[in-house]
Amino acid sequence: MKDWMDLLYVMDFVSIGILITAISINSLSQIEAWIKAYMINSWLLSLLIFFVAVKNPEHHLYVASTLTFASKGVLLPFFLKSIVKQMKKVQVVETYLSTSLSLIISGIIIAIVYVSLGKGIFVTGFSSFVLKISVAVILIGLFIMITRRSAIAQILGLLFMENGVFLAGFSLTFGMPSIVELGVVFDLLMIVIIMGVFMVQIKQKFSSDAADMDQLTNLKG
Amino acid sequence: MISFFYLGIILFLAGAIASLIFNQRANGFAYILTSTGAVCFAIFGVLLLSSPPVSILSISTTPILEFVFRGDTISGFFILVISVVTFSVSIYSIGYTKGMANKGILGFLLSIFIISMYAVVLSGNIITFLISWETMSIVSYFLVVFDTQEKSAKAGFIYGLMTHVGVVFIIVLFLILYKYTGHMDFAGIKAAAGNLPDAVKTIIFIFAIIGFGTKAGIVPLHTWLPEAHPAAPSNISSLMSGVMIKVGIYGILRIVVDILGVGPEWWGTAIIIIGAVTSVLGIMYATVERDIKRLLAYCSVENIGIILLGIGTSMVLASNGLYKLSAIAMTAGLYHTLNHAVYKGLLFLSAGSLVHSTHTKNLEEMGGLIKLMPYTAFFFLIGSVSICALPFFNGFVSEWLTYQSLLSNFQAMSATAKVAAPLGGAALAFSGALAVACFVKAFGIPFLGLPRSHHATGAKESSLPMLVGMAILALLCLVLGIFPGHTIKLFSPAVSSLAGIEYVFPSGKGVIHLSKTAADLSPLAILVAMIAIFMAAVVLIRIIGGKSKTSYRDSWDCGISSLTPRMQYTATAHTNPFRRIFEKVYLPIRNVNSIYILKPLFLKSISYTNEIVPSFDKYLYNPITDFIYSISRKVKLLQSGSIHLYLGYILITLLLLLLFWF
Repeated sequence: MKDWMDLLYVMDFVSIGILITAISINSLSQIEAWIKAYMINSWLLSLLIFFVAVKNPEHHLYVASTLTFASKGVLLPFFLKSIVKQMKKVQVVETYLSTSLSLIISGIIIAIVYVSLGKGIFVTGFSSFVLKISVAVILIGLFIMITRRSAIAQILGLLFMENGVFLAGFSLTFGMPSIVELGVVFDLLMIVIIMGVFMVQIKQKFSSDAADMDQLTNLKG
Repeated sequence: MISFFYLGIILFLAGAIASLIFNQRANGFAYILTSTGAVCFAIFGVLLLSSPPVSILSISTTPILEFVFRGDTISGFFILVISVVTFSVSIYSIGYTKGMANKGILGFLLSIFIISMYAVVLSGNIITFLISWETMSIVSYFLVVFDTQEKSAKAGFIYGLMTHVGVVFIIVLFLILYKYTGHMDFAGIKAAAGNLPDAVKTIIFIFAIIGFGTKAGIVPLHTWLPEAHPAAPSNISSLMSGVMIKVGIYGILRIVVDILGVGPEWWGTAIIIIGAVTSVLGIMYATVERDIKRLLAYCSVENIGIILLGIGTSMVLASNGLYKLSAIAMTAGLYHTLNHAVYKGLLFLSAGSLVHSTHTKNLEEMGGLIKLMPYTAFFFLIGSVSICALPFFNGFVSEWLTYQSLLSNFQAMSATAKVAAPLGGAALAFSGALAVACFVKAFGIPFLGLPRSHHATGAKESSLPMLVGMAILALLCLVLGIFPGHTIKLFSPAVSSLAGIEYVFPSGKGVIHLSKTAADLSPLAILVAMIAIFMAAVVLIRIIGGKSKTSYRDSWDCGISSLTPRMQYTATAHTNPFRRIFEKVYLPIRNVNSIYILKPLFLKSISYTNEIVPSFDKYLYNPITDFIYSISRKVKLLQSGSIHLYLGYILITLLLLLLFWF
């Protein structure tokens, strides 16, 4: 299986899949499609970890892979979907920029990352290629958080960033100890739950349709 | 000996907890605990004064965080000062807090506040000192803003701000000391402090004056005093003014005199100048003040100045090698510290009684209270007489000592000392004169004459615990004034360790002999002489004038048919001459607005406003705050309130870092 993996550049393909799912969000407007994109992104991440685990036989990587799949690939999307259902009317994500402009800026971000990380980075992990992709995913997640108005888009942006951070950490270290990963996953669940509560509260307080974050500007002292 | 320390701490903690538990009921119990604790600490302080330095307690958690409490004669003296005031305030509070909202929390904070002051004075290393100091500051902040009905929030803000500025200097000072001596422990620092470079010593000196001076209230860092003291409940302002600002003095003594030792002469001269300016300006603003608690707060500023005059003189004399005279000056400073704690505590307590029963702090609305509150009036009078430094009360002795030591500065070799000290003496004389004017007003306006408003007519005498609390301090004013010899003997070990020589104060039975200045003082003899003269005068009048007859007539009313209390001499009128004479200092804003029916003869009405904005606020603090505000407004443009923009800042920063860093 190892030879087959090397021959077909499987790992590179998987990581490019991660990047593409992140970029694809820019062109999607349905929030349920966003959640699906995140789900696929997490599956690919879990798959990547699985492949690395096959290549370097370390048992805790299998655990990490399963954990990622269970939490990010199943549990979180399920939870997000239930939030979206609660918010009822929220189907479309409002954005400040047009789709094409968002895609162009994402492309520029990726270019900047590739140019600047192209040289002088000493990578201890399995691929410097994956590191570039992970940084690009982090920045795209941040970019999504900036340009979308609704609170649920902010959560998804954060989750993409988190996937990116996880990937970056993984590409540099071959995975952290299981206990750390367990903590990170637990942290993430907590964040999403708290933000879900916040979002419902924002929606109720400002009685807006989309839990619009612009309303929070009034809170400034 | 140390058992008294533990007993005291346990009693104070028990008092703190008890007042929380008994919140609105049986609050007296908690205060009885704290006053007993104060007695324990007073004994502990006296024992410390007569013993070599002792290590009390050391809790070591990690190498850096080590709590060390150590007592020596200097801390013993300050513990005594704190305990004396605390004892009376605790008893006073039993009556004062009756019917007050949240009094449980007040009692709790009060106990913690006192413990923290003891902890500051007993701290043996930097960390302990800083933590205790900050605890003291924070708890006293809560006490300042305790009274939510008044504008205490602003006062609290100013207090908190000034305290923080002060503590920054203190922390930097300690860091410098640690860097150059390599010790956290005060004993170690003191041993190594001799080798400090002169420049470093000077920086530490300046930082100590600014840092501790903010707490003590030297001009121009005193601005929080006239705000915070009136805002706090009166038992608290009594503690803050009587004791807490003395902890600032303790800091100056500990760092500058005890740890740094004898410095260059200009240090002492600088402190004399600061003391002179502080005392003169403090009493000048006190004189024109109409709010009784603000008046007392400004008066505290004046007294801090007098204490610093004593300490500064001591330092100058020590730099000139005149150690015996230096010890006398230090005695003056410490004695005044004790005296000021006693009579300012008394004055704030009796002012608190006034405010408590008249519900106003404005002197103009009081009047005639001597008939309604005779005991309070008597105690306030004793406090006023003491603070005016009239004979056979305690203020007299310490100010006399300060004069003597200032005037003895002519024995010093250097010219600056010869010039600075008499000028300091002149400043002291000037502030003494103004203090008399100030307290003639502070006593006369509220207590004499007729009630000026409905506030004064409904006044009632304070309850028994409040009177007892005041009576103890009033008695102490007299005792400290008549038996200075015994008192000085009590705290002379602290003087010895500060002045650096074993010095036994030359005093006999109630007589102070200052052989070096050729001046003696025996308050007891003065008292006897005064009584004898008084008796003789009474007898003479009787012999010459025969029996007198009292007859009652109406006052002459200038032809106006009825006199009203509003026509009485007011506090403003009383001090108007000072406002005119010292116009250049006060810079008053006067507005006379006349409305005529027919110019220029037929007046309809005249309105007159007169306001004094302290020059420090106008010329020092306002420009600073304006500057900070203008910067803040510019920075505020960044803060749009939009979360997207904030995230955008992060993204742009990250991209720029990626582009130009890697």
